[in-house]
Amino acid sequence: MSAQPEAKPPQVPQQQAQQAQQKQESSLSRKLNEMRTRLNVPVNVKVESERRATIEVDKSNLPAVAMALRSIGFDHVKTVTAIDYPETETFEVLYHVSSYTDFELAKTIVTLRTKVSYKDPTLPSLYPVWESAWTGERETYEMFGVRFEGHPDLRRLFLDEDFEGVYPMRKSYKVKTEGLFVDRPA
Amino acid sequence: MMDILQDIKYVIFYPSFFVMIIFPGLLVGGLFILFVIWFERKIAARVQMRVGPYYVSRFGGIAQLLADAIRVALQEIIIPAGVNPTLYVIAPIFPLLFAFLPLAFLPIGVIPEQGSVFSAYYRSFFDPSVGMGVIAALPTEYSLIAVLAVEAAYPIFIILQAWATNNRFALVGAVREAYLSVAYDVLILMSVIAIAVEYHTLDVAEVVQSGIPGIVANPLAAFVFFVGLIMATSRFPFEIVEAESELVTGPATEYSGLLFLFSMGGSYFGTYVYALYFAAVFLGGWYPLSGFPGAVILFLKAAIIVLFSVFLRSVYGRYRIDQALRNSWRLLLPVALASIVLGIVGGWLWIR
Amino acid sequence: MTAQPNVFTMDTTQIDIIPIEGELNVGPQHPGSGHMRIYVKLNGDIMEKAELDVGYVHRSVEKLAEVRNYMHLIPLVERPAILDSIHMNLGYILALEKIMGVDVPDRAQYLRSLAAEINRIASHLYGTGILAVFIGHSTGFMWGFGDREVWVEVLQALTGARVTNSYIVPGGVRRDLTPAIKEMIEKAIRYQRKRIPEWKRIFLNNPNIRARLENVGVMSKEQAIAWGAVGPNLRGSGVYYDVRKFEPYAAYDRLDFEIPVYKEGDAYARVHVRFDEIEESIKIIEQIIKEIPQGNILSDRFFKQIPPTRLKKHYETHGKIVFPGYYASFRPPKGEAISRVEAARGELVFYLNSDGSPKPYRLRMITPSYRTIYVFEQLAKGARYADLVAIYGSLDYFPPEADR
Repeated sequence: MSAQPEAKPPQVPQQQAQQAQQKQESSLSRKLNEMRTRLNVPVNVKVESERRATIEVDKSNLPAVAMALRSIGFDHVKTVTAIDYPETETFEVLYHVSSYTDFELAKTIVTLRTKVSYKDPTLPSLYPVWESAWTGERETYEMFGVRFEGHPDLRRLFLDEDFEGVYPMRKSYKVKTEGLFVDRPA
Repeated sequence: MMDILQDIKYVIFYPSFFVMIIFPGLLVGGLFILFVIWFERKIAARVQMRVGPYYVSRFGGIAQLLADAIRVALQEIIIPAGVNPTLYVIAPIFPLLFAFLPLAFLPIGVIPEQGSVFSAYYRSFFDPSVGMGVIAALPTEYSLIAVLAVEAAYPIFIILQAWATNNRFALVGAVREAYLSVAYDVLILMSVIAIAVEYHTLDVAEVVQSGIPGIVANPLAAFVFFVGLIMATSRFPFEIVEAESELVTGPATEYSGLLFLFSMGGSYFGTYVYALYFAAVFLGGWYPLSGFPGAVILFLKAAIIVLFSVFLRSVYGRYRIDQALRNSWRLLLPVALASIVLGIVGGWLWIR
Repeated sequence: MTAQPNVFTMDTTQIDIIPIEGELNVGPQHPGSGHMRIYVKLNGDIMEKAELDVGYVHRSVEKLAEVRNYMHLIPLVERPAILDSIHMNLGYILALEKIMGVDVPDRAQYLRSLAAEINRIASHLYGTGILAVFIGHSTGFMWGFGDREVWVEVLQALTGARVTNSYIVPGGVRRDLTPAIKEMIEKAIRYQRKRIPEWKRIFLNNPNIRARLENVGVMSKEQAIAWGAVGPNLRGSGVYYDVRKFEPYAAYDRLDFEIPVYKEGDAYARVHVRFDEIEESIKIIEQIIKEIPQGNILSDRFFKQIPPTRLKKHYETHGKIVFPGYYASFRPPKGEAISRVEAARGELVFYLNSDGSPKPYRLRMITPSYRTIYVFEQLAKGARYADLVAIYGSLDYFPPEADR
């Protein structure tokens, strides 16, 4: 799905204001669009509002898209998130990126999503592109079991030795909850 | 009956015994150290908007330190598995001993021929350069240097103590002490040499009896000596050896119980003895009084120096080891050299 | 144990004396390590590598979030950094409100900003106190906590708890501002303004502290951006970035304040950024007290559901909200949202994924200290051992916040 339409002929001031807002809105989408046309890999760019956008890629094209994003001006990763979908047996890995240097892009957060399956939970690491992905990738590895190829130091971070090989954030790892205790007077 | 009392009085006031054990030695010194630590906590509390020791006795918790000392002394002494037990137990005693031994050479007063309780010992403790008796445990003509010579052995025993505990943090603390000891020993010795050159003598009693306090004759030497005093005995801002947030307690990390008390007491005793020395040489000592009142005046001057250097805890953080070394070699060493030059000039023109 | 140099193979014409070489475990039981272990590989006095062993306080907030209702999550989510809990609370509620589509009345926005700024001041005083005690300056430590007491008392009067307030709920806030609390805040502002010159005299301009903090842990602008630093660490290296300016939430788009930015990038600049932020926060609080509009503190959508008798008893007499039954277990629509706030230590990001059930499908919480782990490890390389705690304190790294 592509981004906002190009300029329409302006009619009345209300429409003009609306169109100006649309033009402003499409600053992010404009940049993402031109990045998409420059790359020749299939990406799925969705601009949800003037501040949030999603880019969905296949895992083999991930480093290329990441390099392209960095060249536009997105210079750091805020977080690496993984979501477990046991019905479709996939993990969805999200990278939330933003910018410190470009003041227009600093208002936005772009989500870079990709899917990996249970049978082959490996992804190319984005550490060579953005150093700030270091902690997030390590944590995703230890919590979900997704391996990042090319990460310099893929080990457990928060969990202790008992959790080696147990990936607790997967939906298959159940947390024991306790019932509610109600104290009734006798 | 009176003979026995006279004999007891003779023994008690014999200067070697009196200076080392009673005043300003173990008894009075020990009580004073407890007071000093209480004062340190109370004045820091006053600066930091809190109360400090409060509950232990009626007046502001003044017996808090007695309670702390008794508690620490009665705790269990834990000896780790991987150490040599003999060395481990003996090692903390030496720094305390060597912080305290220099007092043997320091004169704390003069004995007039009549009229003082010490006059009975006039002949045996006679000092020819002063012309009167001196109250010193081991009177000698070289007391200016002898005190520092004994004091200089202190860092070696800190290193021994740290090595005996087989702990890496202690080792880091010991290495820092080794580096630092070279720096401050040089400064202290140079300032004292400046005084010796200026007063043409190596006898503390003569320096005091000349009537001119060292701080007036050579203020540079007094300043360098004071900074050296603070560096030598780990008072803030030079509390580098036992930097609590980096090395848990420095060389005394593994000690508990009575041995811990000795380790901690060593640095406070060192401050006390250095302060007595500073008061004698630089602040005019006991002049113009003599006998016991002179000793009391000297003690009070030393007390002010100790209480001031302990107060610095509330104002300063601590330096890094390389900053302390760099500042002492780059800034203070030229001042010490200048003080020697000033001493030579002063000794030639002024003090005869 | 440590490795000693081999005297038989040493070339005596060029002696390279390495007094200590080996690993130091600045472990959890250490006065200078906080709730974590730092493996330090030491070469003489220089650290070659300082590796953080985090996870001692890992409470698995994200996993527990999948088995709790949205309202039950509020106390859970605000506990990672208990001294900064208003911001954690606020970030979570902002993400939730985006999914639910609730609009918040103006008075509640101003109250949210007020509580957030008070919490920012308290957290900065705590951070400065910890830095002071790490460098040995016990007065800075006691003053930090003593001054913080004033602000925490204000929070107690306003929200009912000193820390972990659970003040912000979906749709607004829980309690209202009364004239007595306004008095307290004005007194607190006067007190803090009197104290800042004292701080400058004994701590910031103290030559000893300057020697310890200047040129320590220097982070250039490019390094700060590449390593992903946040908050005062980023602003101390010359990057102009604050979420309150770039993505305003609560009432910040109507308030007038500045962002202190220093370009030196060393520990001293970071401490200055925190102090200037305290002063800016005081200005913001003054504006809020003057300009706060009248109105409801809870969104109309929920306010209408409170039964009138309970409304009269609690809200009109005390200014407290009683929760309508809707909050017990509500189902927000399906969707996902990302929200960010500027917590005291930096930027706090929440990602919430809801699938229509009363419990979230995925909650991701990225705290500022989490993003400082990498910065810490990079800055400690090549620094002196005594600088480890100076860097630690100046980055204001808080282990429970990083471990969540």
